[in-house]
Amino acid sequence: TEWNVSLWGKRRAFTENVEKLAELVEQKTNGEFKLKISYGGLSKSKENLDGIAIGAFEMAQFCSFYHKDKNPTITVTELPFAKDVSLARVAEIYKQVYEHPVVAKDLARWNATLLMPTPLPQYNIVSKTDPLKSLADFKGIRVRGPGGIMGVLSKLGAVKTGVPFSEVRQSMDSGVIDAATFAPHAHLATKTYKVGKWASTNLNLGSANCPVVVNTDALNSLSPENKAALLGSVDEAIDYYVKNYDENTTVQYEKAVTDQSLVRVTFTPEQTAELNKLAASVREDWIKKYSGKFDSKTLFEFTEALFAK
Amino acid sequence: MAGSHTVLEDDSLLSRADQLLFKLESVLTLLGGIVIFLLVFLATANVLGRWIFSMPVSGYIDWVEQAMAFFAFLGISYTKREGGHIRMDILVSHLHGRFLWFTELVLTLLILAVTLVLIYGSYLHFYRAYSIGDSSLDINLPTWPAKLVVPVALSVLALRLLLQIWGYFRAAIEGGDRPVAVPLIEDAAAVAAAEADSVMGSGSASREMEKS
Amino acid sequence: MSLFNTMAQMDTVTIGLWVTGLMMILVIIGVRVAFAAALTGFLGLVWIFSARMGFEKGVMVAIKMAGTIPHSKVSTLALSLIPTFILIGFLAYHAGLTRALFVAAKRWVGWLPGGMGVATVFSAAGFAAVSGASVATSAVFARIAVPEMLKLGYDKRFASGVVAASGTLASLIPPSAILVIYAIIVEQDVGALLMAGFLPGGVSALIYGGLVVFLAKTRKDFGPPVRGYSWKQRFESLPGAIPIFFVVGIIMVCIYGGVGTPTEAGSLGAFVILCMAIYKGMRLSELKDALMETAKLTVMIFTIIWGVLLYVRFLGFADLPSAFSDWITGLDQSPMVTLILILCAYAVLGMFMDAIGMLLLTLPVVYPAVIALNGGDSVLAADSAFGISGVGCSIWFGIIVVKMAELCLITPPIGLNCFVVAGVRPECTVQDVFRGVTPFFVADVLTIATLIAAPGIVLWLPGLMGFT
Ligand code: NA
Ligand code: NA
Repeated sequence: TEWNVSLWGKRRAFTENVEKLAELVEQKTNGEFKLKISYGGLSKSKENLDGIAIGAFEMAQFCSFYHKDKNPTITVTELPFAKDVSLARVAEIYKQVYEHPVVAKDLARWNATLLMPTPLPQYNIVSKTDPLKSLADFKGIRVRGPGGIMGVLSKLGAVKTGVPFSEVRQSMDSGVIDAATFAPHAHLATKTYKVGKWASTNLNLGSANCPVVVNTDALNSLSPENKAALLGSVDEAIDYYVKNYDENTTVQYEKAVTDQSLVRVTFTPEQTAELNKLAASVREDWIKKYSGKFDSKTLFEFTEALFAK
Repeated sequence: MAGSHTVLEDDSLLSRADQLLFKLESVLTLLGGIVIFLLVFLATANVLGRWIFSMPVSGYIDWVEQAMAFFAFLGISYTKREGGHIRMDILVSHLHGRFLWFTELVLTLLILAVTLVLIYGSYLHFYRAYSIGDSSLDINLPTWPAKLVVPVALSVLALRLLLQIWGYFRAAIEGGDRPVAVPLIEDAAAVAAAEADSVMGSGSASREMEKS
Repeated sequence: MSLFNTMAQMDTVTIGLWVTGLMMILVIIGVRVAFAAALTGFLGLVWIFSARMGFEKGVMVAIKMAGTIPHSKVSTLALSLIPTFILIGFLAYHAGLTRALFVAAKRWVGWLPGGMGVATVFSAAGFAAVSGASVATSAVFARIAVPEMLKLGYDKRFASGVVAASGTLASLIPPSAILVIYAIIVEQDVGALLMAGFLPGGVSALIYGGLVVFLAKTRKDFGPPVRGYSWKQRFESLPGAIPIFFVVGIIMVCIYGGVGTPTEAGSLGAFVILCMAIYKGMRLSELKDALMETAKLTVMIFTIIWGVLLYVRFLGFADLPSAFSDWITGLDQSPMVTLILILCAYAVLGMFMDAIGMLLLTLPVVYPAVIALNGGDSVLAADSAFGISGVGCSIWFGIIVVKMAELCLITPPIGLNCFVVAGVRPECTVQDVFRGVTPFFVADVLTIATLIAAPGIVLWLPGLMGFT
């Protein structure tokens, strides 16, 4: 059996869970079951769910914020919970959210089954403005960031400014944006730290949820051995990913921030509390917005409890 | 090669149908042009807004990405009518009379086949976005209107192709060098002249000539 | 039935080669390139999916997959530059910029040997800064420059040749639609490529200018220089051409220095030229014509983009690009020889094909191979085959291949620029133009050799922006 896997961009820390999974599955089945990974050849990243629904390929990765209305339920994990959680814990939380019936039903509309998370650390800011002294300094700063984070920062007067990912560094250089929020691997990819003056260390207002999904029919038609090999390799692949991310990517990013002598801005407990207060209304909005579509309150409380643990 | 080809007209039903469809195609194309025009203003507003008032157009990228399908597809049938899609005509330009029209008939049938496939496929793509849901990245614009443009524009193209097939079929039976309702193959120099005219618009070209 | 089985048993690369062959046949017999590519791409998808999941399901999956591509491929932000780049050129013409530039160039450099030819080269280079397409530039200058040269006694073959060649400058000097398309296909930064085009475009113009002076010096009765302009007249000619510098300034500042992204630079430029055209008294009907023509050209380009990308999607499933790059890197010769052979293949292909179609059809397969040849996309300059980093190589190859595609616009049998000039000027036959353009062909080969030998010309500006 050979599965086509649709990823995008280049092989990077973000894709190591899939690369490891492919390696493990092939090993365990003695090459009988292969995952053939393609970077961008099979679909545009925003159409990976369409490709899964169509059945054009069997496995794909995507990010839920690319198209919230395609997958409203899993955007719950992108909400600002103002909690510092380890990468390993993020992976556990995502996995449990994926198994929640409301979520499973949402993805079933695409004939998709959530297989494996791509856990990302909480997003942090790199900015070229003068280092932040108080939360009031967010006023007027043009920031590129996802909805949840920007929902909070907008309340402090930051201006949400969208630029394409590939133009981030240049936009920052030229002043189109002052700041960008990313997980470390994306700061590394865009090299924001080469332009910035300061970096936040504990923003904790959420990160992206980028799951790996499989076509449900394809999963069901696997032989029992192959299916066992696939499902049985997920945890090991995630462990490998987390270790690689923590030990290489995050360390590399920290080194880059130090080498470029960026000021590290750490929010005080009082500031964090205030951010959390602002975040509460963003979370409320989310529940209200989706209450007509699915049981958003239950799903939210389920997720909140996981983050609180 | 690209460029405008001559399409002859007469009183036949075929030619009248051609002219009627051409009116619709012209309107759609102008609409596409206007979308491009508005895009220029939107981008300018975005830059000025950002620099003067620190207020960029909210969801600028989303709006642009949604607009693109409109100017990329609305004029597709107009361009086909004018023979404006690029092709290699070194072989076809050596054919004449019935044999030429028969060849064009076959080539147009091939295009119709792939167009019909794409109408169905792009309709399903629209319908997925419409029924399950899909939205843009920053400000959650629904994407189905832009996705709907594709099957609609391709359907107009299919009508145009049917008319051209009718035209080529008639020409293949009747023979002759000057059939109506289909783009005529001209020698390369004539195509180039038409292209140069289109670059400058006939009115301004003559104005330019007066000055020189 | 056995044929069906044989087809289902083939490996994907073999399927890829068969379908590619079919596509080439369709293109040669005259199916519009966009639809030939879309049709074969679809048939290829049917073949691959049927082999995997049976015919009935395979066809349905192929239809659905093909149906996602037109919308998906067209809605790419960077491609929104293309219509604005096209619109700028139409509006610049209506704003009277072409003539103003030509007059200024005549007064400033007309005194050189072969002065009118030099003036044509440099005013075309100036117009290139507001025009995204080379064919349009040639057409415009055939109207303006050729009659004046003929009046002064220049040879009609030379006069038409210099115009046909000068038009090609528009594709290197930004704004350039074809550089945007290259950037999209290879997923490289659009701004970096546009900046990279500046100097090679300038070098090209200088080499053309030098060639004209050389021809004027060596040939008898070449045509007189135009002397006798006072400094006052020279400076008086500048204001009319100022909007050009304004647009160049906007694009430089936007992309390089700090106002906006390339995506916004094109629109700002178009906006300025639009104001200028309205100030110069452009009528509503002219604006409408400009919009119709822009829309038509835009559709033409976008159709070929999504059509070819449908075929490229099939290639992705067939895994042909990686097979090709394995083959290229496995060749038993120096990478530079391979690169030159690839460029020669482009020269031959370009004799028969149009530039955009040619690049779209070939790059998805050739580009990964060239990058692999250099040592991969994250290779350091020190470890690479061509002495430039992975990113640098993709920018450098882009400029060379675009220059190559432009070269094909002045080679027989289908040199589009030459046809356009002959079409505009009834007194010049196509043969005249091809004869007149021959020296410029030699100059272009020289330019390409220079760019290969000195990648710094291409990479210096993008390097300042932090690329390479
Ligand atoms: Na240009
Ligand atoms: Na040629």
